[in-house]
Amino acid sequence: MNIQQFQEALFTKGREIGYADMEIYYVNGRSTSVKVLKGEIDQYTIVENGGLSFRGVINGKMGYASTEKLEPDVIDFLLEEARSNADILESEEQDELFEGSESYLEQPAYTAELADTAPEILIEAALEMERTALAADPRIVMARHCSVSIRENEVLIANTKGLHCHRRKSLATAYVYVIATEHNETVTGGWHDYSLRSVEEIDIADVAHRAVQEAVSRLGAHTIQSDNYPVIFRHDAAAQLLAAYTTVFSAESVDKGFSRLAGKLGQKVASEHITLMDDPLMENVPAGSTFDAEGSATRRNEIIKDGELRTYFHNRKTARKAGVQSTSNASKGSYNGKIGVSYHNLYVEPGTSTLEDMIRRMDRGLMIVELQGLHAGTNTASGNFSLACLGYWIEQGQVVRAVNQITVSGNFFDVLQQVEEVGNDLRFTGSCTSPSLKLASLSISGS
Amino acid sequence: MIHPTQIQDMLQAALETGGDFAEVFVEDRTNGQLGMTGGVVDTALSGRDFGIGIRIMKEHFSVYAYTSDMSEQSLIRLTKSAAKAIRGGGAPGTQPITLHPHAISNHHPIAIIPDGSQKRAKIDMMRRAHEAASQYDPSITQTSIGISNSIQNVLIANSNGLLVEDTRTYTRMRISAIATAGEHRQSGFRGPGAYAGTEFLENLNIEENARHAARIASTMVKAGYAPSGRLPVVIENGFGGVLFHEACGHGLESTAVAHGTSVFANKIGQQVASPLVTAVDNGTIPNAWGSLNIDDEGAPTQRNVLIENGILKGYLIDRMGSRQMGVPATGSGRRQSYKFAPASRMNNTFIANGASTREEIIANTEYGIYAKSLGGGSVNTSTSEFNFAVEEAYMIRNGKIAEPVKGATLIGKGIETLQNIDMVGNNLDHGQGMCGSVSGSLPVNCGQPTIRVSEMTVGGRKGE
Repeated sequence: MNIQQFQEALFTKGREIGYADMEIYYVNGRSTSVKVLKGEIDQYTIVENGGLSFRGVINGKMGYASTEKLEPDVIDFLLEEARSNADILESEEQDELFEGSESYLEQPAYTAELADTAPEILIEAALEMERTALAADPRIVMARHCSVSIRENEVLIANTKGLHCHRRKSLATAYVYVIATEHNETVTGGWHDYSLRSVEEIDIADVAHRAVQEAVSRLGAHTIQSDNYPVIFRHDAAAQLLAAYTTVFSAESVDKGFSRLAGKLGQKVASEHITLMDDPLMENVPAGSTFDAEGSATRRNEIIKDGELRTYFHNRKTARKAGVQSTSNASKGSYNGKIGVSYHNLYVEPGTSTLEDMIRRMDRGLMIVELQGLHAGTNTASGNFSLACLGYWIEQGQVVRAVNQITVSGNFFDVLQQVEEVGNDLRFTGSCTSPSLKLASLSISGS
Repeated sequence: MIHPTQIQDMLQAALETGGDFAEVFVEDRTNGQLGMTGGVVDTALSGRDFGIGIRIMKEHFSVYAYTSDMSEQSLIRLTKSAAKAIRGGGAPGTQPITLHPHAISNHHPIAIIPDGSQKRAKIDMMRRAHEAASQYDPSITQTSIGISNSIQNVLIANSNGLLVEDTRTYTRMRISAIATAGEHRQSGFRGPGAYAGTEFLENLNIEENARHAARIASTMVKAGYAPSGRLPVVIENGFGGVLFHEACGHGLESTAVAHGTSVFANKIGQQVASPLVTAVDNGTIPNAWGSLNIDDEGAPTQRNVLIENGILKGYLIDRMGSRQMGVPATGSGRRQSYKFAPASRMNNTFIANGASTREEIIANTEYGIYAKSLGGGSVNTSTSEFNFAVEEAYMIRNGKIAEPVKGATLIGKGIETLQNIDMVGNNLDHGQGMCGSVSGSLPVNCGQPTIRVSEMTVGGRKGE
């Protein structure tokens, strides 16, 4: 059964049993990925997969149900489950279906050439990336993970109020993670890159060399003494930290009492160097999008401007409750979830300093390049974090050696306030990115 | 779910290009999720996941493909395109494949199968949790409660003729409480779960679990920061076993061991832990959160002794690991769903009982950290550097539990930490968690008695 037939049958049956309005949110994707190991293909994965979420208004309430099977026999399951789910909801604030925005921007994000890349090209790129990494330095003993993938996906949101939003995207990625060994010490490091247009556009050799550099530069690491030190979060670690706390900017979290940013609109919540943007309309980034999960046309939102909190992320429900306009940040974690609130392409606006300048100006301190255990070591309610990390010790403006077996502790809200300098090294790699950030002092535990 | 002749056709097509083994995994799963924030039901979701994965092996190479399009022609097309990736040709499999349905014995009885009719009763249970947590202490300002259940029907067939089916039923309750004191907020969590039906919730002491979550939040919101540096650490029983899970368990999976990249590789028979440590992964414990009748490759789960009196005895091995390492598999092939190829994973991992009592361990510790409730953690198996978060911690001074402290993340390296375990209690218990790795997110038990590590790096804050 194709999606149009399924939608028609679902809505027809839904009307019969008393649904007022109904909507489907459908995702479908294809991907191919090749992983190589020791000059051979190690794993080859082909995916063709989709799923559909249904929501509908029945007896004045909105119910949800989802399926991965698009056959006539699941229609009753969807309608029945959504009805009984709607029935037990107690929340006063109801979702409502949206008839659509007046207009939507075009965003070229799909390339047929990429989606149809021959497997041989993926294989050759992955093998070349591994060869390059192994040849780059004698201390590299293995490329633990070396893969090249292509994927395409489509999203369709359609409802009985006339909404019809459809988008297709394609993406190629290359990722390599290597192991380096010297004097009985083992370290790891990785790098990745992507293209929205073609596998050939990715500089495979550059990805390999950077991964090798990441690994070998971590050799000779040992801990440092527990103390408070000036810290640079390198762009990747800064992005990791920001990503762990993005829910604090969600109007839903604020409304439910989970976020410390409640009541802080218009106030200074960060240093004047911080401007936090969500820009789904930017071209050629992996997280671009022209509509959100409710079908609202997306827009560029300034969350923090020069340190001042300007808005939370809103969907239509949270916006209505707060008496503002939706920021078009309705989200679905997966097609089978309910409508929530999230960012699209969130980033800290870059400053003017290069990372090298930031290091050069540091007399004595630590540059952190990787944070670990973020799912457990961060607390979004308090903002506190205490995380294992890896980095480099800096003295008199120079990287002296690698540091491991340490943790960094602090509070996200204090970190925002304490940013002294923002780097110019913003690089879009996912949906949440940051340039390097420098802070005057953070607590490091070591020996 | 799917007709056996159709599976036979797929397996046959899978081996046409020279593969030496093919396996089909069919899954039909129903999920239910209810959520309540501040005592108000705000989430009610139902879902049906349905799909099929096919894996083809040739020596140490494997191809995996999956789809949720179950039409016969689509399955054969996908299988053939997967088979094309088998390199090096070789003689195509000519033996006709005949499947032999294999009945399994069920070790995990389910009394009340979860279904939609229980939604009201579950809401009452969530409300009890909300009330118990919010009444625990005036500092509790918000609660978030959830109940999730799933019924996963699987069919596993392979070119050796195996054909087995099983049903896995999971039920879990999640309780979060938030405490507020001025600008400070802190959360506490409790998430009991089992390979069981709704009877698990009926027998659960919901109020006690809710008060436990509330206690963590309200104690920690008033606590100062943990000190920094190397200290003795006493880790409480139950989910404290996440220490072993991260410090050692992942490093024993064949995914890490087969290529020699784990620090535990090539160390069978060697002393890798204190002689006080015996550690086991047991996938057969009746109705335990991490148990299975058969793993996701169709092999019966086992009780695998990993470390005995400090000596490394065994690894956790899936089918591919077995090929790569030349040793038998241990019933440890697991995957979150048909969207993942199986990999060697833990089930219910625990450190066995020792001789000390909790009281003796505390009384014998002059100064250190008492880690009472643990959060999750992670590990880099190549370097064995691990970390985990302590949700609720106290100082130990002069052999007594003293003031609460927050922010005590613990880090270390695998073998070093295992060798520093210098006291093991006699109060083994298990806690439930979700373990994320190459083959997805899986239910696992982490268990241990109270233990002491003579020295670990504690990630507190200096000067506060």
